[in-house]
This record gives sequence, C-alpha cells and structure tokens, in this order.
Amino acid sequence: MKIKSILIANRGEIAIRIIHTAKKMGIKTWAVMTAAEPNALYLSEADEVIDFTENTSEVPPFLDVERLVEAAVKHKIDAIHPGYGFLAESAYFAQSCENKAVIFIGPSSDAIYKMGNKTIARKIAIKNKISLLKGSTRHVTDAEIAMKEAEKIGYPVIIKAASGGGGKGMRIVRKPSDMEKNFRLATSEAEKAFNDSTVFIEKYAENPRHIEFQILGDKHGNVIHLGERECSIQRKHQKLLEEAPSPALDEKLREKMGNEAIAIAKAVNYSSTGTVEFLLDDAGNYYFMEMNTRIQVEHPVTEMITGIDLVEQQIRIAQNEKLSLRQEDIKLEGWAMEFRINAEDVQAGFAPNTGIIKRMVIPGGKNVRVDTGFVEGAVIPPDYDSMIAKLIVYGEHRKKVITTGLRALGKIDIQGLKTTVPFFKAVLHNKAFVDGDFNTSFIETEMQSLFHQEKDEEMLAAFLSLMDYLKEVADDSVLSADKSSPWLFNKRMKSI
Amino acid sequence: MGIFNFSKKDKAKYIVLGNRKYTFEVGDEGMVKVNRINHDIAVEEMTHNRFELLYKNRKHRSEIIEKKQNKYTVEINGNRYAFSIETPISYERKKMLEKKSGASGLVVTTAPMPGKILEVMVAEGQQVKEGDTLIILEAMKMQNEILATGKGVVKEVVIKNGDSVMKDDRLIVIEKK
Repeated sequence: MKIKSILIANRGEIAIRIIHTAKKMGIKTWAVMTAAEPNALYLSEADEVIDFTENTSEVPPFLDVERLVEAAVKHKIDAIHPGYGFLAESAYFAQSCENKAVIFIGPSSDAIYKMGNKTIARKIAIKNKISLLKGSTRHVTDAEIAMKEAEKIGYPVIIKAASGGGGKGMRIVRKPSDMEKNFRLATSEAEKAFNDSTVFIEKYAENPRHIEFQILGDKHGNVIHLGERECSIQRKHQKLLEEAPSPALDEKLREKMGNEAIAIAKAVNYSSTGTVEFLLDDAGNYYFMEMNTRIQVEHPVTEMITGIDLVEQQIRIAQNEKLSLRQEDIKLEGWAMEFRINAEDVQAGFAPNTGIIKRMVIPGGKNVRVDTGFVEGAVIPPDYDSMIAKLIVYGEHRKKVITTGLRALGKIDIQGLKTTVPFFKAVLHNKAFVDGDFNTSFIETEMQSLFHQEKDEEMLAAFLSLMDYLKEVADDSVLSADKSSPWLFNKRMKSI
Repeated sequence: MGIFNFSKKDKAKYIVLGNRKYTFEVGDEGMVKVNRINHDIAVEEMTHNRFELLYKNRKHRSEIIEKKQNKYTVEINGNRYAFSIETPISYERKKMLEKKSGASGLVVTTAPMPGKILEVMVAEGQQVKEGDTLIILEAMKMQNEILATGKGVVKEVVIKNGDSVMKDDRLIVIEKK
C-alpha cells in the first residue's frame, strides 16, 4: 500500500527534513502546531497543520501518544513519522499506531522494546556471539552483588541503568570502596529519570572511540549497513561533531564491525533505519554498546558519502517495499562532517542561551548543506534543545572537508545568541583532530582552549569599543574640547 | 599591549582594560567618523552597532553588545570580551583607589539564568584560576558549569547546595590577584 500522507510527530529541522523528502515523493505532509512555537518554520513547509496549541492534557504535545494517533485517524493520514527524540523509540507509540492501522515509519514495536532495554539487548548480543564488554551475568539488586560482579569483571567498571541512555544513571567505579556510594547514586538517578532503578555492571573501557553503523532493513528480512560514523567529539555524552567515514577504520575492520551490526539487527527482525553503536579501543578491539532504533540527528553525513536518501528509504520500507539496494551496491565515496550549531556559550562552559535570533546567515553552497528549523526573528524556545542548525560539509577527502568546514564556519553570522561556532573552529585547528588521532576524551584532554580566537581579535574589539566611546564623547559638547586634559577632568569632578 | 598611532601631533592616550591592558594613542583627525580610520585598521559600520573590521588582510565581524559609560561588551568572531576605557589619569586613579580600599579587584559571579545550585565546588579561602569550575547550576534541563574568569582567592560563597537562584543573583565573590 503506497503511503500518500504522513503526519510528522516532530518539529524543527528534522520535521523540515522529512517534509522535503515526502514532497519529493509526492506525499502530503501534516505538521503539528504547538503553543511553544506557533510560528515555527516547519509549519509553513508542511501541506497541512494540525492545531495542538490547546492544553488538553498534562502530557507535552509531542509525547502525547493518544492525541497524535487520534489526529492521524481523524484526518485519515496513512502514516506517522516520529523523527528522532520524543516518541521515536517508544514501543508503546509504535504499537498504538499499529492498533489503529496507522503505518509507523520505523521498526516494529517488538524491535524497539528489545533494543530499548539494555539487559535484553545484551542477552541477544551474547546469544548471537556479538562482541561485548564483559558484564554482569545476573540481576544486580544491591551493592553487595554489584561488588561481586565487579570483581569477576575486573575494575574499572561502570554501573548503567538498564532502561537508560544519554549518560543518566551511569557511574564509573574504579575500586571496591567506591561501589556502595556509586551504586546508590546510580540506582536513584535511574529511578528518577526512567522510572526503573534496574542497573547492570559492565567493564569500563577508558577513552574509547564512539563508532556507530547505519543499518537499513526491510520488512522482508533483508538488512544492509551503510558504513560507519565517527562520533567521538562529545561533551558529557552529547555529540557535537560527527563524521563519516571514521579515520580509525580500514576496510577489514569496517567489514567485521558492519557484519556484526547486521547480525544484531537481524536478530530482532529489524526494519527501517537504525544505528548500532560500538566502542573501539586503540588496540582495535570493538564492543557492542547499544542500538538506536530510529533515524539519528547525524544521518546526513552518511547520506553525503553514500548518496542515499535515508528518509526516502524509511518511507519505502514502511510501505512494504523490498530493499532496492544490496550490500555490494553500497559505496562510500569522499568524506563528510557535521557540526551542530547550538545556542550555547562556549566561553561560559557551553551554557545554553535562549533569545531571539536577531540575524542568521549560514551560507550553503557546493558541498555545504545546512539543515535548520529556524529563521531570523525566531525565538529559541526553552522547552526544547538548543540546536539552531546542522552544518554538513562534504569533500573528496578529510583534509578538504576541514578546509571547506573552516571556510563555511567563517561565513556564519548569527546575532543575538552565542553559538558553538568558535568551538568548531578550535577543533578544526587542533592537530590531534586533523591527524584523526582522537577518542571520546578529546574535548577534555586535547583542547587547550575550547574556543578559537583569531589573531588580535581582542585588540580589535578593544579598539572598536574605544572608537565608539570617543564618538559618544565627541557628540557630548561638554567634553568636545580637550578629551584628556587633567584640568577639565578636575573641573568636572568639582561640578559633581 | 599595542600602541596605535594615528597622527604624530595631538596624540591622546587611552587605556582599554580587557583580559589584557591595551594602550591606544589617538590623533584628532578621523576620530569622529567611523569609516576608514587608519590604514592599519579599517572599520566599517554595517548597521547600528554592527561593524566589520579589516586588519592585516583579515575581516572580522563585530558587534557592540552592551555599553554603559566607559564599560563595553563587544562580540567579535562569535566571542565576547568586556572592556573598561580609561584615560591615563583615570587609570592611575583607579589603581590608587583599589590600593586604598585594600582590594585589587573583587569579582562578583552572578547567575547567568534562573536555576538550582547543584554543587558548589569551591570554599572560602580557596585559590582559583581562570577556567576553574566554581558552581554547577542546573538550568534548562542541563547541568551548567560556572567558571572562574581569572586568578584569585574565593572571598565569599553566597549560596549553598540546593538553593534556587534567579538571574543575576550573587553567587561567589572572588578577590582577583
């Protein structure tokens, strides 16, 4: 059954991204308007808008399963695309769509559930002989069991929330005497964040690289991979810069890891786009971490080097088509990098800033793609994340991408907010980064300064302020005579 | 430090204090207009408070974010700097006053946005340097580190773990060294 209409249960740049491909395929798009941003750009890109501005429940609009599915049924919309975040990895949402005969553009609720639970995912990986970090083999219900398991595994270990992600409910333990306190902290954080205090213990790999593989599967059992992405430039487990391919992989390693990624996807009958995450240490050992059962923020870098539209593939798979691509059809050509332009003040430790985008110029061009959800005059709402735009750069090889990237970053002109642009300039000037020699500890250990300063820029800023000051002073007739005469200064003091 | 000459006659000196001390020497002509000041630095006003500076063949985009009397906040190439503009006399006076009051400069760190104090990382009497984490403030669903802007000694810790703060609330007072 061909999908003729899609409800996009998301906002910002990904909503626009989905709309673009849907338009290309002649599919009607429906977007959801919320009270937080009634004038958002994505609304004007969609064919139809559904009004969710009324507060009908405690649940935020993009997390309201019932409301979204009902809207699709009411307007006779064929399918729902969840984007990333929000309900993209909610097995309940996928199931609810299925129950109401609305096509969910993503994997089955069963695959989402299994890969969403770390303990289950681990069990499946063990069963399929996927390379894994040593972990606890039984339920860890108290600190004593945690300590026994840690002894078997060998310190350092990490306590992880079974239902978790994004760095929450995670605690590194380097020696037995630290176990009790960290066990307590991890379980209480897990309970608060995911309503599930279940944890497991895993060997802690020190400063690995974060390598993830893009998976594509259809509903007929075919699964392929589209190569890897290097995502080690992270701050507190938040990705900032991603690239494809990874400077750390050769063809042999790519094949080995790619095959294991396919194996784990097949083990849960995976369909649609998904990402299998690995940790890679400097001895070339890799370990399965988790699988993200959705399309990811950084998918464009894979699209740039494979020439494949991943959203289009998602839609085709959702309408039951067989994969038109086989593994041997996938060729990785060139190199791509993505820079997340966030409204964050790097000089103040990446503190988020909200406000109005007074001016926004992010020029695209040959080999430069800009995915954004905002225009000048828009407000960055505090309800959502701080991403303004994604700057994606392509080139024949990595060094060229870096040069093009610096040029593109130099042309960005955003006023009214501070952004991560100076941070990326610093990364692209960094020798370890340019050499491709880095891991997840990069930001902490390899960067002398988190933001790039052009030569003499502070002097120039000082000069500008002086010039403006003198102009103000010259406009003031009282001081127009002699600006620095001590006599005049004393005279003024006396009159005050 | 840079000494900047406009014309050899009628020179007036200004000291601009930022992260470093800059000394500029200014001539009478060209100081009222903003365009084409000197062959070394060319300044063009793009729109109100936005400028393009050309120096040594490189363009820099800059904006005056805030100005209060002689205190300026300027953004250039995406980074912000704070300055205070002094004449040699006012600068000497400032130094003299600081010596008199016994403080070489007190820096009050305030809350950049409303939030909750998750953890205070320093104690009174502790030495800090630029970039040290003073406080972890939870705001906008994230943990934000408030950093020390220079070297000094923590004089006063106004808040404690668990406190709720509003924007601009006083958090920590550091005596700059």
